[in-house]
Amino acid sequence: MSDVLKEIAPSKIERNPDNPRIFFRDEEMDTLTASIRRYGIQVPITVYSEGSHFILIDGERRWRCARKLNLKSMPALVRDKPSRLKNILLMFNIHALREQWDYLTIAHKLPDVIELFQKDNSGREPTEAELSELTGLTRGQIRRCGFLLDLPTKYREILEEELALPKQFQKLSEDFFIEMERALKTVQHRVPTAIKNLNSARDALIAKFRNDTIGNITDFRMLSKIATSVKRLGVRETKAREALKSIFDPHSKIGIEQVFAEQFEMKFDERKVIHSADSIYDFLEHSLSDNSTTKASDQLRKSLSRLHRLIERFLKS
Amino acid sequence: MPFDTFSERLKLVADESLALCKQEWGRNGLGIEIPIAPKIGWQPTFYMKPNRVLMVAVEVGDRLFPDSLRGAAHDIEHYDFPISVYQACAFDIYQHDPHHDRVDALRDHGFGIITVDGSGRAVIQTRAEPLAQHLSQKRLDDVLKPLTPTPTLKVRFRAAYATYCANVGQGLQAAAQIVESMVVCIAGQAERAGVVPPGTSGKDAALIIDDLYPTGLCHNYRAALGGARNFIRQYRNIASHPARTPRAEADRIRNCKTGFLEAARIACELRDLIRGVGYRVLVV
Repeated sequence: MSDVLKEIAPSKIERNPDNPRIFFRDEEMDTLTASIRRYGIQVPITVYSEGSHFILIDGERRWRCARKLNLKSMPALVRDKPSRLKNILLMFNIHALREQWDYLTIAHKLPDVIELFQKDNSGREPTEAELSELTGLTRGQIRRCGFLLDLPTKYREILEEELALPKQFQKLSEDFFIEMERALKTVQHRVPTAIKNLNSARDALIAKFRNDTIGNITDFRMLSKIATSVKRLGVRETKAREALKSIFDPHSKIGIEQVFAEQFEMKFDERKVIHSADSIYDFLEHSLSDNSTTKASDQLRKSLSRLHRLIERFLKS
Repeated sequence: MPFDTFSERLKLVADESLALCKQEWGRNGLGIEIPIAPKIGWQPTFYMKPNRVLMVAVEVGDRLFPDSLRGAAHDIEHYDFPISVYQACAFDIYQHDPHHDRVDALRDHGFGIITVDGSGRAVIQTRAEPLAQHLSQKRLDDVLKPLTPTPTLKVRFRAAYATYCANVGQGLQAAAQIVESMVVCIAGQAERAGVVPPGTSGKDAALIIDDLYPTGLCHNYRAALGGARNFIRQYRNIASHPARTPRAEADRIRNCKTGFLEAARIACELRDLIRGVGYRVLVV
């Protein structure tokens, strides 16, 4: 590949239709514009030539700023025209490794990568590891994109609208949808009868998040815990189902945290204490049977005495 | 496709503000996403030329008072074509600007504001005069500060400023009339004191100044009188001559602005003169 450094008029450059980036937030662009106005473009953009024009591979934000500042020319590395798959992968590797992209941005383009890979590999779909190697994304990132990719169009549009807003106006985020989808998947798997209509459940959770009935996206982890409590803690399925239904009821003002705290938290705490008690038991038993000459420290003795007194009080109550 | 680099939301803002501007100023000289001139370091989202001596340019964006506008203000102000600049944004952005800091900054720097709500209704929130004409309230306050012990003059200048904002030429005329009436005020009191012959105060301000010079009354304030004489000669007729070309109009606007500020400065000097010779400031 022969790269040539040139000064090119921004008006001769066009956007790359395969650029996965779809959000250009004005506040970020403003910072870059200020920098370019003061110091100029320090790093050349990358383009390839097509007819009398050039197509961007890397540097759409700098190009937009150059146009806004009415610059006469900007430095650009001109490369040979790549194949479509290579074009997309180049952008993935240039951008995604350098700065955090929106997951939705990546999610939009991943199907294209998969499709083009299949064409080149006799219809074989790439494995997650291959996708990771091709795109430079971690497998965790690819999985998170998967959640967004599997969203019905309506919800992807809601997210797109939200992401196009300036940061201070955004309520729903990619993380919100990823956490929600992960939790809903767990619920569907563990207590399938709790969800009659998945989209209605999504709508209820979104509405409750918007009006702060659900206070935090991490609350969705409690939703998963409620669903797994049937198998892990032996909670009755009907109890878990009713609790979940009350959360998915759009007319109730019941949030996840409230239901979890009132009905399930104690059980989870109990399980945690049982684990800890077992662990203390094992340690003490091992210490006694070991005939070890090493004496337990005063601090340990003090703590155990204190615990002993409290356990006696608790068991008598 | 116009505005294809915008998100759907900003595209609505751009489309609706463009429609409003066409309705307001017509579509003559319409340019979309192209630079106004190589010497202006800013490319507006769109612009139009409502008449042969005015251009209206609009920047669409979520970031109020962006760096690109801030940086280009000087280029726009000194360009050979008077340009009024507006920022168009979503109504939500306008409404939720913390303490209206950026909205106020836009207004203070002479930019107009157009908002577009979710249903696509575009409204001009603040109108803008050409940037070359803009004189901020703060700048006016600074200029009028030395007049503080003479409230009548300040009131007169504030009224002239209101005229200036609507019509730059008439605003300058109003300011010039304040200077002239101060000269007449000196002449009237000098007449009564027998320093100048009767009938002097009925002459043109320039002739009054010529008569006052040799009397020695204003010996310690000759600079003030000279300044007033020069001001009357230089700015008196600017407003009366309409510009034929955009460049002439841009020059006229800049001259009117300089003249307005000069009038306030000279009024301060004349006020000092009047007090210095023991007269009273009687401005009608």
